[in-house]
Amino acid sequence: MLIANNVCKKFGSFHALDNVSFEINKGDIVGFLGKNGAGKTTLMRILTTFLPATSGKVMIDGDDIVKDSLTIRKKIGYLPETPPLYDNMTVQNYLKFAAEIKDVAINKRRLQLAKVLEECQLEHVKTKTIATLSKGYKQRVGIAQAIIHEPQLLILDEPTSGLDPIQIQQVLALIKNQKDQRTVLLSTHTLVEIEQIAQRVLMIKAGKIIVDEPLDLLLKNKNDRQSQPLTLEQVFISHHHEMMQDKTEEYDQAHKKVTYE
Amino acid sequence: MSKIIALAKKELRSSFSSPIAYIILIAMLSLFNIFFFMIIDQNREASLRDVFQVMEFMFIFLIPLLTMRLFSEEKSSGTIEFLMTAPLSNTMIVLGKYFGVLTFFSLLILVTTIYYAIIEYFSDPDPMSILSGYVGIWLEGAFFIAIGLLTSSWTRNQIIAALMSYFILFLLYFLSNFTQYFTGNFESIILQLSTRTHLENFSIGIITPADIVYYLSGIILCLVLTRLSIENRLWQ
Repeated sequence: MLIANNVCKKFGSFHALDNVSFEINKGDIVGFLGKNGAGKTTLMRILTTFLPATSGKVMIDGDDIVKDSLTIRKKIGYLPETPPLYDNMTVQNYLKFAAEIKDVAINKRRLQLAKVLEECQLEHVKTKTIATLSKGYKQRVGIAQAIIHEPQLLILDEPTSGLDPIQIQQVLALIKNQKDQRTVLLSTHTLVEIEQIAQRVLMIKAGKIIVDEPLDLLLKNKNDRQSQPLTLEQVFISHHHEMMQDKTEEYDQAHKKVTYE
Repeated sequence: MSKIIALAKKELRSSFSSPIAYIILIAMLSLFNIFFFMIIDQNREASLRDVFQVMEFMFIFLIPLLTMRLFSEEKSSGTIEFLMTAPLSNTMIVLGKYFGVLTFFSLLILVTTIYYAIIEYFSDPDPMSILSGYVGIWLEGAFFIAIGLLTSSWTRNQIIAALMSYFILFLLYFLSNFTQYFTGNFESIILQLSTRTHLENFSIGIITPADIVYYLSGIILCLVLTRLSIENRLWQ
């Protein structure tokens, strides 16, 4: 479904992504993890054609994201970290507008609108202005616009950020329901969510992919070395703890040098 | 084409849902009405020539207020990601936004045709010179909107976008005042670049290909530069 090969992205002298390569199979829900600033959003923006990569190649369903950019966009649904909503529009008008610009056939627009309103439980707020909605509803409107054109690949950047526990469960259920219809790439900082819905985990650190494994295998492999079963959160922390230890050692050595001198 | 219309409709709808648009509409029409009656009262002429000159000057102040949000707001609110990851080409986005504001502006111009009806009722004006004046003022507004769209694509701050528009529009308007400092080719180039030179012809009933080419090439240049600007995403 998605093949990324040696994708690099530089902002001036800063390497946001450094030779990132991975594959995602059709129908997978993939959890995309990493600390703030690790490169998650940059990679998602490249996959959705919003940003060009400095080098490397990405193919989605056989199409190159640079050469076939407009074709690719029909196949992708994207929810950025901040839902891209027009506050002065009603939910219904916004989704109609999304359907129009995302090439939903005229005779299917009404049907698709009704479908996403039902799927995202937005029917009772469809005539409300987006500015008046709660954060949870806004997030659902954001997901509705991302799936209104029946994309094959759904890319969600922290879809549960800032939501209360009930809203989180509603959004997760909505994402889980997408499993049979499309491939999902989902980034979040709440690792329990990944454990609930993902089959595969991609972990990125300082612009490099450090983990690319099925979730069950990742937890099993780690558990073999430990006496007690691990959670994804512990795996994540252990990967970043190693980095912290290295940094601390580097600092200690540098500090010692200065002291001796 | 249907996507450009969808974008233009969205722009037009958001113009009417914003209080700024209504304030501009009311302010513009009130000022035009005052100047219309003052000019007619003073000149006692069945012509709108001076009214068009006043309109041109007012547009310098008011059009940047209409255009400043076009791209700046999309960037600051993050909706630019929604547009630029949808199956829309950058040309479609630029044209959709441009035609949306141009439609709003055309409606405004349409309301001012009441002035023609008033002078037609009381006297016998030359309809062709008034028509050419309207064509000129419409082309000038269309050019100013294209400049506003361009400056809006340079920044995510609406105030900065408006200030940059003011700078360019004032420069183009007052350029003809600087001809005394130049001679020969420079003088004629500066004169040809000034918007006032071209509107004067329209307002006295003369439509020349040079004036039409001036406005159309200005509009096309600004739209192409806007497309390049959003493509480069330097504002990121």
